[in-house]
Amino acid sequence: MTFWDKAQNVDRRVIYTLLIAILAYILIKPIGLPILITKETKAAYDNLDKVPAGSIVWFSADYGATSIPELLPAQIATMRHAFKKNLRVVAGGMWNEAGNLADMVWQEVKKDFPDKKYGIDFVNVGYKPGGAVLLERMVNDAHQALLGVDFYGTNFAELPLMSEFKTFRDVKLIFEFTAGTPGEQDYMKMVTDPLRIPFSAACTAVSTPGIKPFVQSGQMQGLLMGMAGAAEYELLVGKPGTAIVSMDAQSAAHLLIILFILLGNVGYVITRKRPSARV
Amino acid sequence: MRREGPIILAGMAGLVSIISCFFGAPGFKVVKDELDQWFLIATNFMVLVGLINLTMIHWKRVSQKRAGWGYSVALLVAAYFFIVHGLVRGSVGDVQYKWMYNTFFAPMSGTMFSLLAFYIASAAYRAFRIRTAEATLLLVSAVLVMIGRVPIGSAIWDKFPSIASWIMDYPNNAGIRGIQLGATVGGMATALRILTGIERGHLGSDV
Repeated sequence: MTFWDKAQNVDRRVIYTLLIAILAYILIKPIGLPILITKETKAAYDNLDKVPAGSIVWFSADYGATSIPELLPAQIATMRHAFKKNLRVVAGGMWNEAGNLADMVWQEVKKDFPDKKYGIDFVNVGYKPGGAVLLERMVNDAHQALLGVDFYGTNFAELPLMSEFKTFRDVKLIFEFTAGTPGEQDYMKMVTDPLRIPFSAACTAVSTPGIKPFVQSGQMQGLLMGMAGAAEYELLVGKPGTAIVSMDAQSAAHLLIILFILLGNVGYVITRKRPSARV
Repeated sequence: MRREGPIILAGMAGLVSIISCFFGAPGFKVVKDELDQWFLIATNFMVLVGLINLTMIHWKRVSQKRAGWGYSVALLVAAYFFIVHGLVRGSVGDVQYKWMYNTFFAPMSGTMFSLLAFYIASAAYRAFRIRTAEATLLLVSAVLVMIGRVPIGSAIWDKFPSIASWIMDYPNNAGIRGIQLGATVGGMATALRILTGIERGHLGSDV
């Protein structure tokens, strides 16, 4: 067996070992490659940026712990942006970890915004089941649909912000962090399309191809595509976080995979031209 | 009646929703709002049904000592520990609960998802071969998007991001839109079949 034969059949354990070694090395020693801002991320940033100060925005955490590396940095960066703009945020979600995730974001972001108060500038309504039906109910009566209590068990009557958030009609922008269903399509069907509410989303990289057509159609104004999108937003907000740090590692991983693909194909072409291979 | 009852109920509920949504009939809206509320309550109970189902499946596996029964023990212990702990001490605001979520659940879930990167690396290396014109097209577009979506792409050649963006905006969007339209039409047809009682898979095999 020649080198080129072997090049087509590299043991998967070799690939795994190289990948983990290169990821670990770059995560420990980042290179600091420049990050370009895509038009989708810029549009999401502008969409939030133009919301008048004091307005209420709805942040929906529709993902689980599996997507924390990609979507939590995006949620943290957008929440920072919202607080910088003096917007008030109501967070929740249709996935069962929505409350935990919104709480993690709040705990992280409030360190930089000590003047922001829970119940006045931010409310975490937590996870509420029901998917599209829940959203439809929230268009008419959010308090009833959300059962009148927040993630921490506090009655909405004790939270001043909730007295101004009666339905989705009171919201000036919806930002969704989505990793699947229920997700962005439910918002477009039930809320943002019928009520013409500006809508942006952050999604996992694997779901980007399925969501991009909605950006092109204008149903969604901005989109943060995977960790790269989160890194771009961190850059725009001016507060580097875990996404920016991870982008070098992602670059190295992509490059390694491409090198292996090239190696396999060069081997394939060379061995195919051999007379013995044609028999 | 075991068969007809659910079919009639599903058909009526669907009809009320369709008439309320598309024609805005006020009388139907009241009924639909009530049905929506029932749906939300039922969805909450579905969590309990899911837990019972999960317990039954894994308990059976443990009691019969089937292959991998140890994993089922781990699953049941973890699930019920979290539930009991949450019920006794409360899940929200409890330091221990938060610590368990942040220290065990979140990193382990992230690890499971990140394993995909390793599988994809190995699968891409084996699958992307220039055997046919279509496979070559797939390979070239995949490599261009992979390199164009990360910072090193623009560091190598500043045109890579634009090329990746073009691939995502035109060929990808056209293809996905076609698939989504097809799936939506298929979904409408299936919904119609369920409402009219032609499609009965959701009723189970014994009716």
